[in-house]
Order: sequence, then structure tokens, then C-alpha cells
Amino acid sequence: MFDAVRNRKFIVQAVLVVIVLSFALWGVGDYLRNMGTPGDIAKVGGSRVTQQDMQKALREQQERLRGMFGAGFDPAMLDSPEARQALLDTLIRQRLVQLQAQKSHLTVGDEQLREVIASIPALQEEGQFSRERYEAALRSQGLTQAGFEAQLRQDLAVQQLLAAVAESAFVSRSSAERWMNVLLQEREVSEALIKPEQYLAQVKVTTESVKDYYEKNRKQFELPEQVRAEYLVLSQDKLAEQVSVSDQEVKEWYEKNAERYKQAEERRASHILIQVPKDAKEADVKAARDKAEEILKQVRKKPGDFARLAKEHSRDPGSAANGGDLGFFGRGAMVKPFEDAVFSLKEGEISDVVRSDFGFHIIKLTGVRGEKSPKLEEIKPRIVAELKAEAAAKKFLENAEAFSNLVYEQPDSLKPAAEKFKLDVQQTGFFSRTDRAAAGPLGNDRVVAALFSDDAIKNKRNTEAIEIGPNMLVAARVLEHKPATLRPLEAVAAEIEAKLKAEEAAKLAQNEGEAKLAQLQKGEQAGLAWSKPRTIRRGGGPQGLPADALRIIFRAPADKLPSYAGLALPGEGYAIYKITRVDQPKVAENDPRVRSQQGQLAQLAGAEDFDAYLAALKKRYGVEIDKDALAAAK
Amino acid sequence: MAAFDLEEQEQISELKAWWQQYGKLVVTVAVAAVVTVVGFNFWQSYQRRQAGEASAVFAALQKAAAERDAKKAREAAGELLGKYGDTAYAAMGALVSARIQYESGDLQTAKAQLQWVVNEAKDAEMRDMARLRLAGVLLDEKAYDDVLKLLGEEPMAAFAPRYAELKGDVLMAQGKPTEARKAYQDALAKLDAAERETGRGQSSSALREVLQTKLDAAGGQ
Repeated sequence: MFDAVRNRKFIVQAVLVVIVLSFALWGVGDYLRNMGTPGDIAKVGGSRVTQQDMQKALREQQERLRGMFGAGFDPAMLDSPEARQALLDTLIRQRLVQLQAQKSHLTVGDEQLREVIASIPALQEEGQFSRERYEAALRSQGLTQAGFEAQLRQDLAVQQLLAAVAESAFVSRSSAERWMNVLLQEREVSEALIKPEQYLAQVKVTTESVKDYYEKNRKQFELPEQVRAEYLVLSQDKLAEQVSVSDQEVKEWYEKNAERYKQAEERRASHILIQVPKDAKEADVKAARDKAEEILKQVRKKPGDFARLAKEHSRDPGSAANGGDLGFFGRGAMVKPFEDAVFSLKEGEISDVVRSDFGFHIIKLTGVRGEKSPKLEEIKPRIVAELKAEAAAKKFLENAEAFSNLVYEQPDSLKPAAEKFKLDVQQTGFFSRTDRAAAGPLGNDRVVAALFSDDAIKNKRNTEAIEIGPNMLVAARVLEHKPATLRPLEAVAAEIEAKLKAEEAAKLAQNEGEAKLAQLQKGEQAGLAWSKPRTIRRGGGPQGLPADALRIIFRAPADKLPSYAGLALPGEGYAIYKITRVDQPKVAENDPRVRSQQGQLAQLAGAEDFDAYLAALKKRYGVEIDKDALAAAK
Repeated sequence: MAAFDLEEQEQISELKAWWQQYGKLVVTVAVAAVVTVVGFNFWQSYQRRQAGEASAVFAALQKAAAERDAKKAREAAGELLGKYGDTAYAAMGALVSARIQYESGDLQTAKAQLQWVVNEAKDAEMRDMARLRLAGVLLDEKAYDDVLKLLGEEPMAAFAPRYAELKGDVLMAQGKPTEARKAYQDALAKLDAAERETGRGQSSSALREVLQTKLDAAGGQ
């Protein structure tokens, strides 16, 4: 028996190696899996952010934004390196807290999970959790129950962590009080502005320096590359003009779909409501019924008085004032017992007392509009439009591929396609990549990219057929191309000179201002015209001042008054501020504003703590981003 | 089985000799392996069970916190610290409860719960966060020296700007604007450093704004 073993030693060894390895590599499987296959965008701790993860996140983001902006949403908005980086950052942050939640064994129990699911409004029917809705919702999202619940469990665990970090933050009363004091401080300030205009006259700009500026800033004076193009639009709307619909077709359609155009029967009724709640005590119900019977007797005696009695007795706020009239309504508009009564009466007839959830009704049928089928003539335009749209959509689908092929196979002209599909060749004016005002329907990112390619400009080839809207294809061809040109120096010299002069004057104003500020700070007079003093508050918003000015005013030392501060305001000149008074209102011990300030600061602190927490996790787990893979992500 | 040939008998005796020599070792190793695997699995499932129970208590604590019920929150946190001190929920619960206790005016309990996190929490992030909040409570009690001592020990880089900020607040409260200015400047520098290192979210620009304003108010540049 050992012969077998000895003779097949290598087999035994191989088996042993497998067994040993399977132990030695215990857990290595995970490691290998997490080594990352090429194309992974990032690694967070041991866990990979794959291209699929990114695509899924991008899709979700698009759906969210489409939900917010509707048709005005352009997916190209998300197609920039910055947007992609931001999305990846979000994914990484999610991954970090997930990892941490997992490592900390955070979880939620079945009971809590059930509660959360049952509280989702979309899964409820009349305020109760509905099993059918839940299953339908899972199906429509393509999820299994176990998968969804596992995901939800994970999300809830992450939320626990979030709550523990961010929502537990608070800020001490002392810090809040200090902050309030800072915000409440007031300073009385007057202002003097040294304007550059007064120095313009003494500024000399040489032709040399103009030329120098021109040479150094050529980019500014470039006119971008432009094209003029011709194009064809193949669209469902255009095709709808080409299809015709025969009367015979309209008639057949009408007969087949008569049901769709039918108007259901409608009835008009008045009523008198004696209100009594559904769950009222028996005595109250009886009293209400007796009253209703009493009124019914009066109505039957004098049917002409119905409106007057309704005004007097009915407790239906919507109709009582109109003599109980409810207007015309169809089936399904009213509560069941009421509807049944109305639709069993004859015109002019008065019902017995009817009980509904609202109370007791006395109903009079005042009109009947029978079921109606509109005549063919009345709705013919609607049918024709519908049939045309349907035929055009079908035709579009049939033609789209042939159109794409034709513009590709005969790349030197749009004519063959125009003739074959009976389209007009249209033309645009000149437009550039960025200024597309004259581009007409070609102002679409993909079309512009195609038109400014070598193939379109140098080889004068048609672009491929590009979808620029639902059921709308465009193919275009460059007619004329203007390369980027530099505007000549003569054309822009005046512009440059004015700019340099303004800059120089601003510099002079600033020098002057700084000199005066220094004089003032030494306690000398500077001969400035000061504005009327006014009081501003540190936490009081802009108050008609630029943010930088507010900052230097409140940063100026306050130990010796008047105190001065100055800064250059771009485009305006050099501003000097004179601070003549500093007020520090005291915050009382039990000022309620401190409490609300504390709340606001706590929110800020929560956000900061969470950010810091994430930063710490990032360091702990390690994040590697593959820049190339990110750039390749679509 | 009587009829083994010579060769086979020889092999059997070799095998016996080998077993004589190594048998004990093999058995020991095998037993140790089994014990380790079983023990590890048991430990894992024990941890999971503990976490599951603690999670329910934490949920009750969150509910109490949302209703601002300080008493219920304190009881739930007490249960977490007492029975589930080894789970991550203990530190999380203590933090959540401490805010409610602080806001209801029970500084003693708030301090005790935060101190527990500072001493016992496994994650350094949680310890640093609790230490900062504990220092805030002590500032309210005007125990300035204790606060500065608490803040003196360097936290993780991510929390360093907030530590320096609170240090500044304490020094201002003590009437030492020159030193406070240094603390706020330090906070700004540390915020820059933290941003360079990990990139931070939107909150850091809000924090920068606050720090700069506090620095200005302390008369700094």
C-alpha cells in the first residue's frame, strides 16, 4: 500500500504543498484581492475604489442633480477633473467611515432595522408599512431583500458613528461669550480716500513700455480660432412634416381607440350635511339622524326650498353658501355611499337620508351629463398629430443609422445625405470654441469638439452624426476656418496705454496714502478730508465696506485713539480709516443670545470635529489615489 | 493483515519510530491550532454579540438625546460604560451623553463621562475629541490651570488647530492677550499644516475665519 505513495511521491508532495499553502496563506486571499487590479482609482486602507464604484457614484450624482435642476441639467457639468476629484473625495470619505464602522463592530439590531424600513413613507400605505410596496420597490431597483437590508444596516452603522462624532460636539459657554464679545465690539470710524484720478495727469507712459506690455501679454490679445460650418439636422419633428396620414388611417384609429376619447358620465348634485363624526357616541348619532329626518320632511314638502334649507342647516363649508350645490363630478370623486346615492337618483329627485363618514346627507340630483364620445371631426387634429408623431418616431429610428452611415461614407459633402433624407443644408456664422453665439444648434460640446478637430478643419471631412437632443441628430462640416490671430499692436495700443496709466496712478495714490498714514500714526497732521464718522460693528456684516477694510479697521490697535489703518482698494484708490472710539458692550450673565450663539458654534464645531476625525482616519488607514485611473474614469 | 512483506514491515517500524520521536509535537501543534481557531471564532462572535446589545442601548441613548432627556441619557450611557466598556459604543455613548449633561447644567456628569473617554477609549481620535470637550467644561469652571494642563499634551495633527484655539480662549479669559495671540497664530499655522497633510473639508475655511477674527480681536496681525 505504501508503494503507491512512494511511487507517486510528487503527487503526495503536491497535495501537501497545497494543504500547507492553504494554511500559510490563510487570509492572504483577501490581501491578494485587495492588491488592486490595474484601473482601480484608489485604495482606502485595504479596500479598493474601482471604476465601477466611480461610475455608480457618478450615475447617482447625475440622477440627483437631474432631479434638482430638471431639464436644465447638463451632464457635461460633471465632466471636469475637479468635479471628478470632488466625487472621489466623497467616495473616499464614505469608505473611511465604513471601514471604521466595520472595524469597531458597529451594527444595528433587526428590530431597529425593521423600524427604519417601516418608517420610510414610500413604503407605506395609509400610514402603515406595506409588504407589497416594499417588495415592489426592491424589484424596481433591482435589489434583493437581503442585499438591501445589509446595505441599510451598514448605512445606519455609519450614521451612528456620525452622530457620535458630529452631533455630540458642544462649545463651552465661556468660548461662546468671548466670541459674542468679539462680534459685538463697535468702532467709530471716518474715512478718507486718495483717488488715483488726481495723479493721472502726471503719469507718463512711453511707447516702449506699451510695446513691452504687448510683447509680454500676447495671450490677452489673441483672437481665438474660429470656424463657419454647414450642417444637417435629422429630427423626429422634421420627419413629422414629411409623413402624411390618410383619412382612412385616422378613421381606423378612431374606431379602434374610441374608448380612450370617451368622456365618462357626470352628475351634478346639491346636498345638506348634518355633521356627525364617524366614531361619535350613539346618542349624538341619533340626534343628528333625527335632525336630518326632520329636514328631509321639510324638503319633501317644499322641494323648491332645498337651497334655502341648505344655507340654513348644511354644515358643509364648501357648498352651504351655494345652496348646497357641488357642481358636476364623475365617479370616484366623492365618498362611496354618497356616490352610490347620486348615481341611483333621477334628475330632480331627492334622496333619503344617507350616512357617510362625514355625517348625514340629504341629496338632490340637479343635472346629468351622459357618457359622451366625441365625434371624429372634433378630435381629428389630435389624432393626426398623434399618428404623425408615432410615424415620425418610427421613421427616425429607421433613418438614424442610414443617416450616420451616409455622412461617414461620403465624408466630403453633406449633399448626398441632404438629398436622400430631404433635409436643408444650413449654415452658421463664425464662432470659436468658447464663444458659440453664432453656432446655432452646433453649440453642443461634442459637436464643437468634432468641428475643431484636425479631421474637420484640415481634411474638411464631415463630423460623425451626433445626437444633440432626444431623437435629434446633427452632422456638420467646416466651410471656412480662421486660425487664432494676434491683434496688431496699433489696434490695442490705446487700450494698453490707458491700462498702464491707471495702474501707475493707482501706485502713486498708494504711495501717497501710505506716506500720509505713516504721518498720522506719528501723530502729525496730514491734511485729509475726512468723511462724517459712523459706528460699525465687527459682527454686523458688510455695512457698506469691503471685507478687507472691515478687517483692518477692527485689527487696528485700540490702546491709543485716534488709531489709523489704511489699504489699497482695487479700482478705487487708497483708503485711510480713522478710528475715534471703541465700544465694548457687555454681555449679561444670562443673555439669551449667548445660548443661541453656543448652538451655532456647536454646529460649526461638529462639522470641524467630523472633518478632523476623517482626516485622522485617512492617515490611519492610508489612501492612495491613481491619478491616471481617475483621469480615465468616465 | 498478518501478511505484510518484509519491506512493508520495515516501513511500518520506521513510521513507528518517527511517531515516537515527533508524535507529541504533532499532537501539540494540532491541538494548539484547533484551540486558536476555535478561540478566535468564539472571541469574534462574542464581540459581535456584545456590539449588538450595546447598539440597542446606544439607540436608546440617541433617542433620549434627541428628546433632551438628560436622565435617560445618563442611565443609558452608564449602562454602556458599565456593561459594554469594551465595545466602541461606550466611548460614542459617553460623548453623546456628555453634551446633553453639559447642556442641562450637570457639569459633574459631563466631566466624568468625558474623562472616561480620555482614559479608556481605544481610538486615539475619540480620546483627543473628548479631551478638547473636557477642557471646554473646565474653562466654564474657570479652572484655567487644569485646562492648560489638559491641552498641553499634543493631540493628533488633525485636532491640533482646535486645541490651540481653545488655549487662546483660556489665555484671553486670563487676561493675557499677548500669549493668546501666539496661541491663535499657532492655531492658524496648524490648520495650514493639517490642510497640507490631508486636505480638509469646507469647515476649515469657516474655522480659519473664526481664528483670524479672534486673532484680530486680540490685537494681533
